[in-house]
Amino acid sequence: MHYDLIIIGMGLSGLMAAKTAAEMGKKTLIIGKGTGSLCLFSNTIDVLGNLSEGMKMADGLQEWIKDHPEHPHSKIGWKRMNEALSSFISLFPSSYSFTCTDLANSLIPTGAGTYRPTYLIPSTMIAGTSLKNGKVLIVGFKGFKDFYAGYTADQLKCRGIVIPLSEFQGQEMIATAIARLMEKGPFREALGREVKKQMDGESHVGFPALLGIRDPLRVKKDLEEIIGAEVFEIPILPPSIPGMRIFRRFKEWLIQRGVTFLLGHSVLKADLNGKRCESIEVSHPPLSQSYSADRFILATGRFVGGGLKAHEEKIYEPLFNLPVVQPKSRADWFSNSFLSNHPVHQSGILVDSSFRAIDQQGKQLLDNVWIAGSILAGHDCIREKSREGIEISTGYWATRNAFQV
Amino acid sequence: MTLRTEVLIVGGGATGVGIARDLSLRGIPCLLIEKGDFTSGASGRNHGLLHSGARYAVSDPEAANECIRENRILKQIAPHCLEETSGLFISLPEDDLEFRDLFLASCEKVDIPATLLSRDQALNLEPDLNPDLLSAVEVPDGSIDPFSLVIENARDAEKRGARFLLHTEIRSIQRDKDKILAVKGKDLLQGEEYIIDTRYLINATGAWANQFLNLVGLRLDLALSKGSMIITNQRITQRVINRCRRPSDGDILVPNGLVSILGTTSIRLDDVENFEVTPSEVSLLIKEISRMVPVIKGTRFIRAYGGIRPLVLPEEEEDDRAISRGFALIDHEKRDGLKNLITVTGGKLVTYRLMAEKTSDLLCQKIGIQTSCSTHTRPLPGKGTHFELNKRLKEMHPSTGKGEEILCDCEIVGRKELEESLTKENLKDLQDILHRTRLAKGTCQGGFCIYRLLGVLHDLKISKGDSNSILKGFLEERWKGIRPILWGTTLKEEELIESIYKGIFNLEP
Repeated sequence: MHYDLIIIGMGLSGLMAAKTAAEMGKKTLIIGKGTGSLCLFSNTIDVLGNLSEGMKMADGLQEWIKDHPEHPHSKIGWKRMNEALSSFISLFPSSYSFTCTDLANSLIPTGAGTYRPTYLIPSTMIAGTSLKNGKVLIVGFKGFKDFYAGYTADQLKCRGIVIPLSEFQGQEMIATAIARLMEKGPFREALGREVKKQMDGESHVGFPALLGIRDPLRVKKDLEEIIGAEVFEIPILPPSIPGMRIFRRFKEWLIQRGVTFLLGHSVLKADLNGKRCESIEVSHPPLSQSYSADRFILATGRFVGGGLKAHEEKIYEPLFNLPVVQPKSRADWFSNSFLSNHPVHQSGILVDSSFRAIDQQGKQLLDNVWIAGSILAGHDCIREKSREGIEISTGYWATRNAFQV
Repeated sequence: MTLRTEVLIVGGGATGVGIARDLSLRGIPCLLIEKGDFTSGASGRNHGLLHSGARYAVSDPEAANECIRENRILKQIAPHCLEETSGLFISLPEDDLEFRDLFLASCEKVDIPATLLSRDQALNLEPDLNPDLLSAVEVPDGSIDPFSLVIENARDAEKRGARFLLHTEIRSIQRDKDKILAVKGKDLLQGEEYIIDTRYLINATGAWANQFLNLVGLRLDLALSKGSMIITNQRITQRVINRCRRPSDGDILVPNGLVSILGTTSIRLDDVENFEVTPSEVSLLIKEISRMVPVIKGTRFIRAYGGIRPLVLPEEEEDDRAISRGFALIDHEKRDGLKNLITVTGGKLVTYRLMAEKTSDLLCQKIGIQTSCSTHTRPLPGKGTHFELNKRLKEMHPSTGKGEEILCDCEIVGRKELEESLTKENLKDLQDILHRTRLAKGTCQGGFCIYRLLGVLHDLKISKGDSNSILKGFLEERWKGIRPILWGTTLKEEELIESIYKGIFNLEP
């Protein structure tokens, strides 16, 4: 099979690239071993966290770009990033939409009772950005080991309660199982009534981010109706149900648009002819198959995604063996304190302004392979709170560049 | 509060706790004070080797003989705290076979059973050994779980009347010309202050010996040597694997329960509190040990850690009161004119009981009573915690696996089991809880279960202090062990852990 574009990696940057290509009418294949960081960590869309309070993203980003010329954001610029973000937003129907408040970051509460700044927020989390104006109740589920209402509430200085869920007699309670249960009307009703019984004049009620996968806004509205307070979701330990919603929406849309969607397949090797990639060999045991294309996008993520690997001495890119810019020796990868900056996070693939890989002298390495997402060098997306912003805008623009639009 | 005791033991490592058991078996009342938890020093930071003594047979026959005698005694009195794995000393092509022959002869001299095995015999026993090996010598090495050993000693001593003050630091010592009168201590968790009146003091603080002696204006000639070790994610060999050459860095691989431990380095230090394992030490250990066991190269590691050996320098050793070159026992009455103080330091985990016996003998002689030691014949009670995963699964709490939440997926620790040990032992301090459960011991080193543990403490309303500060403190402490081994799968998982705490939870320094 021959394609206009093959995208390797099914995280947010790969999905965004596939959407962009499909909209341009290109014959597209997307292949992924798994869903990467999207279904693990993504809850909201981070663009850049470290802005002073109330500062507009447009202004904050322009300042950031001045100081960080090698950052992926700087290669794109705010105007074009905003175009990519709008394309992302347009994918989501009104029942699960992403919005920002005043074109700036908002603070949302987390499962450790901290607040984190983020830019685009799904409709199920919006009510969590205005806790300071109300009295808050945090609800947890007895037996669910990845969220503790008392812990979270204590940090947020509000009240926490734990509700037993009789549906889980004798089986382990996991995030996806609770989220699926939330989609059942009678379950929500019983849960809502139980919470209502324990209300003490609260205006906001926070749940761990498990309010269903298919139609979370419906779950939120039903609970709000019964409880009589505003309901919001709180991001918790992986897996991320909100991330799964994003993945599900992309998958449904891409398949509908005729994109070939190969989830659970890994790429064994890339066949190169000089500086051109001709095809990739894909393994799906017991079969392996070759797919060719005019253009490729590498969006395999960092260490969790498998886009970067490290042995005792060196960080490398396993598929194309592209050079990875990195600190001199392993002793310099990480600093002494866990919570401080680690130079290893700045490592990754260097690219030119079109997002093709280059070496340290600036020489272009492959003619028809573009690089997108967190595998790029020059950012620390965890600390910067810039992960999804990088993934969305580089996925979008690497594709546009590939077709020279 | 004022406390009174006959003997105050300072230090809650194997030696101090061993002395507490020895004295209480002799009917002598004692109180033990420790500024952290049990085994906070070298007793909890070693490779868990039950020495056969063979390692010292060539260089230090006296120490070797002590080891083999204690090895036999521990197998009798504490079988539940150790595993009789046996050990091999292997010779590689670059090793000197003359040394091997000297080694065999020396073992025989000090009564350590040593059997020469051919290459094929050795590979038959341990298929992962370097196939280039020339020969191996089998000796009765084993592995030991130092924490169970110390805890069981403490429990038995407590049952017989010994008392323990953990997390209590000595702040000052009141003395007149030739005698210590009292000790001032402070509980570091609760803030309570104690005055302890005691007739005798035993300084069993190991590497901290001089920190203690400083309070009475004394000093020992003690050198501190850091030894670094790495823990693998799974057990690599069934037996202890040693290199048959003169002792050097990276010459031992000790199986311990479900894991193996690579050891060790030896680096002189000045600071007993602040030290770290460096990435280059880790690389050296892997390089050396993979010569003996090549699969070490691709093995996943879960943690690196270092311990400090207190080494007593020759001037002290030549003192006629030193009983053995393995450890130093100092009567400060003879050395410094301070009548009621004894220091015991140096030695090895495997000789802790002997050190306790000799210290207690000296004390009894000073008190002027005639009692004899019985720790070499009285079995340690308890069942230990050193069991294999299949036994663990069998002995798991009845509610685990029936829908009860499993807080630690690596080591299978259920919530009920945790809640039971929290209430039974009245545990509140995070590190104490971690010492007494399997939480944070597995592959993720607490990356997931610490958050859950803090959540459970909140649910039970026994959380103390700000949970996010405790969480950050734990993550920084954990980091010391993780940072030197970050590559491969461990690095991948660490990106996940970082994404949780610095990303989703936005924890900041």
